[in-house]
Amino acid sequence: MLVEIIEETKGKDGRRILKVAKENLIELMTELKKQGFNHLSLITGVDRKDKLEVVYHLHNFESKKYIVVKTETLDERVPSVSGLWSSANWDEREQYDMMGIVFEGHPNLKRMFLPENWVGHPLRKNYDLKKVQYINMDEEGNDYATFDPGDGW
Amino acid sequence: MMQDQKSKSNPDEWVELNMGPQHPSTHGVLRLKLKLDGEIVKDVEPIIGYLHRNAEKICELDYYCDAMMYFDRMDYVAAMNMEVGYLEAAEKLLGIPPPERAQWIRVVMAELSRIAAHLVWAGAYGLDLGMLTPFFYCFVEREKILDIFVEVSGSRQQVNYMSIGGVYQDFNDKIIAKIEAFLDQFPGKLEDIYKAFINNDIFISRTKGIGILEPEVAIDYGVTGPMLRASGIPYDIRKEEPYLVYDKINFDIPISHKKDNLARFIVRFEEMRQSVKIVKQAIKQIPEGPYFNPKSKKSLMIRLRGEGEYYARTESPKGEFGVYLVGDGGVKPYRIHVRSPSFKNLSVLPVLARDTMVADMVAISGTIDLVFGEVDR
Repeated sequence: MLVEIIEETKGKDGRRILKVAKENLIELMTELKKQGFNHLSLITGVDRKDKLEVVYHLHNFESKKYIVVKTETLDERVPSVSGLWSSANWDEREQYDMMGIVFEGHPNLKRMFLPENWVGHPLRKNYDLKKVQYINMDEEGNDYATFDPGDGW
Repeated sequence: MMQDQKSKSNPDEWVELNMGPQHPSTHGVLRLKLKLDGEIVKDVEPIIGYLHRNAEKICELDYYCDAMMYFDRMDYVAAMNMEVGYLEAAEKLLGIPPPERAQWIRVVMAELSRIAAHLVWAGAYGLDLGMLTPFFYCFVEREKILDIFVEVSGSRQQVNYMSIGGVYQDFNDKIIAKIEAFLDQFPGKLEDIYKAFINNDIFISRTKGIGILEPEVAIDYGVTGPMLRASGIPYDIRKEEPYLVYDKINFDIPISHKKDNLARFIVRFEEMRQSVKIVKQAIKQIPEGPYFNPKSKKSLMIRLRGEGEYYARTESPKGEFGVYLVGDGGVKPYRIHVRSPSFKNLSVLPVLARDTMVADMVAISGTIDLVFGEVDR
């Protein structure tokens, strides 16, 4: 593989983990897809307090190989892989919603579960659980979030 | 005629229609934004999140042993499978393996739960297509399984039966007799239910050749479970990466090359027959011994500490159910991520439903087997 890999380790679950800088992510993913990793199983974000870690699980249906790719970001931005696998589309939207990771180049980066104007990203460690937000519906039938419990119907 | 219509259709004249979230055919709280050209669906945008509870965050606030009850409430028609999925990750991370007896018991319960989940699906799918009778047959059989769950755990659906390092209650002769009695009569009843569907001309014409899912598309969208197997790919985690004691059990993975709604129906029924086969084998082979790991006593449970990360994959009735667990050395999980199969399977609906009739789209979304506790988490 020509792509520069920071570290290659083996996880507790026996899976190969490749750690890569986010600048080289797309290059590595394109290379892996060429090798036959046609199933992007999941995308996870982990909040490590000082940085955000993004984990990709790839699976190859022919050779039954499994590989984990990890990358880190300090500025909440990671290039999107939705051009390579269609399943990344919803996964990235989910991670954007829950973790606040901005996937650059995503065709439709909207929140997956929460209303568009929700404040904060719940799975972040610094998310304030004491601030209660209420969900309401506007005239169009779309949801919106508000801090005012008396708002709406 | 159809071709003619397609070429003439002007996107400006398409009608936008909102379907759900309180629509009976959406199996919960799925909202679909449809763009229609006459009765032909041109575009579907699924909007989800109406049952969102953020179980992943709630799990982070509790001890490892407490997180399990939130898993019961994810795929609430197959709670046993969810528990197996979580415990696969948690036990490996915490280093508390379950004894062999508990593993066999878990296999029995997980497969019974799979049968129950597929029966719910079959009954509800009949309702989607306007068949009321099979629904009752399915639920009568399911109720017998839930009776077994009541016997072992005291609860019908949110069982909370398994725990870290074992199971809550041991199997006794009464439970085994109950399971055997169920297994004796169930295969015959299953064939009756199967015939009620398959001998119905309306059912066949609503499902055959409709909702074709090509295997390449399925893989690209991360579709797993019976949906993928109905597209001809024999992918089952129980064989791919055997967990518990599935490698000691003889069973087959049913697949179909027809790729349509009917194929998914047939694959799920064949899976129930295979599950019966698994339970029949497992119930005879349950070894003697302890049913929980002594390290996981109730009083010690809240002191369990995990460090590192573990990703466990299991086969739930809906597909590949993955739990990604990260521990920071504390008594609470640092991060839990759930790969829910229904969520992935739903994302392929816009592809499946394009250029079909509205009524066919309902038939297609029914075969995805959506459970919103799991899609929204």
